[in-house]
Amino acid sequence: MRRYFGRKLLIYFITFFLAVTIDWLIPRFMPGNPVQNMLARAAVRPEAAEVMYSYYTRAFGLDVPIWQQYLNFWNALFHGDLGTSVYLFPQPVAKVLRESIPYDIFLLLPAILLSWWAGNKFGAFAARTKRLDNTLLPIGYILTATPYMWLGILLAWAFGIVLDIFPIAGAYSFSMEPHWSWLFIGDVLKHWFLPFASLFLVGFGGWAIGMRNMIIYELEADYSHYLEALGAPRRLVRKYAFRNAILPQITGLALQLGVIVAGALVTEVVFSYPGIGYLLLAAIQNQDYFLIQGCFLFIITGVLLANFLIDIAYVIVDPRVRRGMVGE
Amino acid sequence: MWSRGRSIITMLVLVLLSVGLLGALAFGQVYDRDETLYVSGAAWGPPNDWNPFITWSKANTTGTLGYVYETLFMYDPLNDAFIPFLAEKGEWITDTSYEITLRKGLTWTDGTPLTAEDVAFTMNLGNQYEALWFAPMWDYVTSVISFGDRIVRFDFTDDPLYQEFDNNLYNIPIVPKHIWESKSEEDITGGANENPVGSGAFLYETHSSDRNVWIRNDSWWGNDIFGAPPMKRIVDVRFSSNSVALGSVIKGDVDLSNNFLPGIATLAEKGYVTTYFDGAPYMLAANTAVLFLNTTKKPMDDAAFRRALAYAINVDDIVSVAYANLVAAASPTGLLPQLSKYDDQAVIDESGWTYDPAMAAQILADNGYVDLDGDGYVEAPDGSTIALEVTCPLGWTDWMESIAVISDSAKAAGINIEDVTPDYGSWNTALTTLGFDMTLNNWANLSNTPWTLYNLLFRHPIQDIMGSGNFGAYDNQELFDLVDALAAVPTTDLAGMQAVCSQIQTIMLTEVPMIPLWYNGLWAQYSEAVWTNWPTEASNDPARLPSTWHGYWQLGGLLTLLELELAE
Amino acid sequence: MAEATKRKKKNEFVYFALRNNKLKIGVAVVAFFLLVAIFGTLLTENDPREYIGPMSARPSGEYWFGTTFFGQDVFSQFVVGLRATFLVGAVGGGLATFIGMLVGFVAGYRGGAIDESLNVLTNIILVIPTFAILIIVAAYLKVRGVMTESLFIGLTAWPWTARAIRAQTLSLRSREFVDLARMTAMRPMRIIFTEIAPNMMSYLVMAFILQFGGAILIAATLDFIGLGPTTGMSLGLMMQNAVNWGALQLGLWWWFIPPGAAIAAIVGALYIMNVGLDEVFNPKLRET
Repeated sequence: MRRYFGRKLLIYFITFFLAVTIDWLIPRFMPGNPVQNMLARAAVRPEAAEVMYSYYTRAFGLDVPIWQQYLNFWNALFHGDLGTSVYLFPQPVAKVLRESIPYDIFLLLPAILLSWWAGNKFGAFAARTKRLDNTLLPIGYILTATPYMWLGILLAWAFGIVLDIFPIAGAYSFSMEPHWSWLFIGDVLKHWFLPFASLFLVGFGGWAIGMRNMIIYELEADYSHYLEALGAPRRLVRKYAFRNAILPQITGLALQLGVIVAGALVTEVVFSYPGIGYLLLAAIQNQDYFLIQGCFLFIITGVLLANFLIDIAYVIVDPRVRRGMVGE
Repeated sequence: MWSRGRSIITMLVLVLLSVGLLGALAFGQVYDRDETLYVSGAAWGPPNDWNPFITWSKANTTGTLGYVYETLFMYDPLNDAFIPFLAEKGEWITDTSYEITLRKGLTWTDGTPLTAEDVAFTMNLGNQYEALWFAPMWDYVTSVISFGDRIVRFDFTDDPLYQEFDNNLYNIPIVPKHIWESKSEEDITGGANENPVGSGAFLYETHSSDRNVWIRNDSWWGNDIFGAPPMKRIVDVRFSSNSVALGSVIKGDVDLSNNFLPGIATLAEKGYVTTYFDGAPYMLAANTAVLFLNTTKKPMDDAAFRRALAYAINVDDIVSVAYANLVAAASPTGLLPQLSKYDDQAVIDESGWTYDPAMAAQILADNGYVDLDGDGYVEAPDGSTIALEVTCPLGWTDWMESIAVISDSAKAAGINIEDVTPDYGSWNTALTTLGFDMTLNNWANLSNTPWTLYNLLFRHPIQDIMGSGNFGAYDNQELFDLVDALAAVPTTDLAGMQAVCSQIQTIMLTEVPMIPLWYNGLWAQYSEAVWTNWPTEASNDPARLPSTWHGYWQLGGLLTLLELELAE
Repeated sequence: MAEATKRKKKNEFVYFALRNNKLKIGVAVVAFFLLVAIFGTLLTENDPREYIGPMSARPSGEYWFGTTFFGQDVFSQFVVGLRATFLVGAVGGGLATFIGMLVGFVAGYRGGAIDESLNVLTNIILVIPTFAILIIVAAYLKVRGVMTESLFIGLTAWPWTARAIRAQTLSLRSREFVDLARMTAMRPMRIIFTEIAPNMMSYLVMAFILQFGGAILIAATLDFIGLGPTTGMSLGLMMQNAVNWGALQLGLWWWFIPPGAAIAAIVGALYIMNVGLDEVFNPKLRET
């Protein structure tokens, strides 16, 4: 068990290190100078501009050689200091992120978990009869083939504008301050529903298809035929098939995280939902090194953490892996 | 076991319900529609600072200067008049000495009186810290001293820049000495200044990443003079995109929207919104969109080529298609309509231009630009190929369409120009470092003097980084001298200013270093569902600017809000 | 002898392929859109950027998909956009399949240290949310074209293909005909390409189809947030323009529904094609 997890953790640490380094490097190769951009609108005289330029470059730590910036970065990271945002100067990046993260978690966690659970159940259900299969399957394929933002656009247009049931922008109404009341909670849920729905539906389609394929594959396996030959009820066979089919779906979840992150980003853009994805886009457009780093750090940490949790879940669910480890 | 579990769950549900009910009784956190004004279009990013000196912060909490901090005067561009605000009056005692008398009874929101000492302190900050935007004023100001509670005297050198000084009078926010004197340089020039204490009609209440909420200051000094604000709260909404703003406006959720909204002309026709003008161009002019040409690069270093280009651009298409008639074509001098008294019409008639592709072709032919290889585009007199790019930031949709028109009409006239849209960051850097062929810029805003426009267009001296104007690095010492001379003309000398402007315009129209194209609108559409008495051409006396944009509060934007009334 | 079995297998595949409904439908849909993309401009002859018609006009006999906010012909934009979409899918998907194939083959065939290191590389890229990196890199480039976009997509989408190919290579490696080839001292690369690859043809084809669809989706998403090609038209760009110019609020449904519907239809058809192919190649799944 230790070796298994130890190896996984090692890979994750290497991945983290590599990804963060890549992310740190790329903005620095971007054309354009963030301090200059920030000051371009200051419209001060050239001499004053020069003074301010060197002042802000020093303030952002951009005046030391690159390798030193890199070391400073890791040093600051371990102290929990993610730097100061250039785009949102003078707010610290950590503070900006802290305000956006809850929205992402609120959107992503239910969408991922519910679509996975519901999709798998539905896929297994559809695999029962051929008729059901043929009618429900195309829906699943079309859902999973739908681009996230297009579904978001459709939902926003149909339910937000034509039917005017849901709002299509923001996290809560402009006429409210956050406070504990059913009114506010209801308002938050109303703003949350459409972005959640678009993430949910696309994911649902994908998992349903995947599960259906896996179930059919399992039902054709030798052990299934054997059980049937022994006279076991269909339900029992399906139950075992489900258990075997769920395993690749668990690993599939880990593989899909990157796609879901991308989907959440565009969904936030469509619905102006104030999450990390939306923030990342703004940071990129404004060449804010530190905010880009911060957003990416959060994303990669989240993905790696999720991967690790899924690995643990896999070990819990699959007794063969546990058995194999005991033998070590 | 199961029944115990069930009772625990029931208990939990009951607790949650009661908490919820109690919570529901918490009122005051939902804003009464009749007491709240919703505005949008000013903020383009999450609010991140409340420091009135950080004018360049794109995501600045616009309204900090306006709602919370105030200026000595306001300037009314539609009537070309200064409105005494914090100051009761200001007068030139001599040519080099200016005296301001403050109103009686001014207070800060923490109760301390606002006195001449605060004004002197604020002005002297510019002397102490070069990083503040109004520091250049101290090139020609020798001292700012306060006498007693209400008098402030400015002393100047022999040749003050009157134009710039006047402009500063309605742009410098007055900050409280008793709070700011203990701030460090970092805090003053770049600090966030959270929970700001000002003198204004509103207080900061709260904010989140997509809104600012201001609450009425019931002890505002101006309540008796300008009238107390009719709304209890102002919620300044930041929409993530113009189309989302459009949706809110259609629903009537926003009272004043200063966003550029696609299709607004149609909405205005249908009566969803009201705009300043009843028909085209619907909007007042706010600034001039100028096409800057990189004069250090061939063939834009040739005045004849530039002139031909001016004739080749189809501004009508930009106005009628890209903007659906929400804007108007600009005067070739670049001056906004409210400063048209400084336009020398004779010079315009002689050297101005209109859309005339035949004329463009003729000028090109006359100056050695011929199509040598038959590809439909002219080559330079020395035979080299001409392949240029016109740029604007990706995502600025109206500009993107405009440069598409520029490209198409130039190509039709034989000049090969491609429209390219890099991301904002790289575009902005290219703008200030001569990294472009031709690009748009519209920083020349409404102002009390033509000097601000010409200072932007002909900024000098020429340097490697042109950060605040003259992005094409056009070098003409005669022109620079004229602009400097203009700066030093007293603002009361109309004839003097007109004379200098005429000379500037003569050179500008013959040399064509940059091409003013159209007047960007002061985008403003109002919903009359809850608040009325918005400024319109018809019903306005005195005329007011319906804008919450940064820098427009001092142009009367605040007064517009004060004069609103509840719809019955 | 090997030749005869191969031919028989191929005929068997063709036989089932022609009878598989899913495959037929999928191919038909994709072919339809491909034809529209190639020959569509013959039907319209309108420049997609030109302000050709009345602004914001509904679909009509003259403008099949109506006009945009500016009076541009939506159908022309649609056709040109389809081309870009197919191009990105083919090049991006093809590149991803190729890299995955290479990495998977080499890792599976060679084994040992090479296998380990390639595995680590694959796992790392698999876990990293490549989309986040993609948008950062895309923003770095001042001018982007369809080819650059395809390149990036290809470089980041290959890991799962590599894994699948590697697994299959591992299982094939131990078969007899490979041993035979090795005994004749064939070079490893030649063994890979002449003996193993043909047996994996089915996997490769299916992987390519999935990568094709995936590349289309990624490209559309990139285009939508403004990080696609800076010139030219694409379906994602159409959707971005529509949203930015208030098509939802103004009710110009003909501007944003066709592009997304086309993508959903093409990618969906590709997936269904894939299932059909799976049934053709894998006797266990055949329903007849």
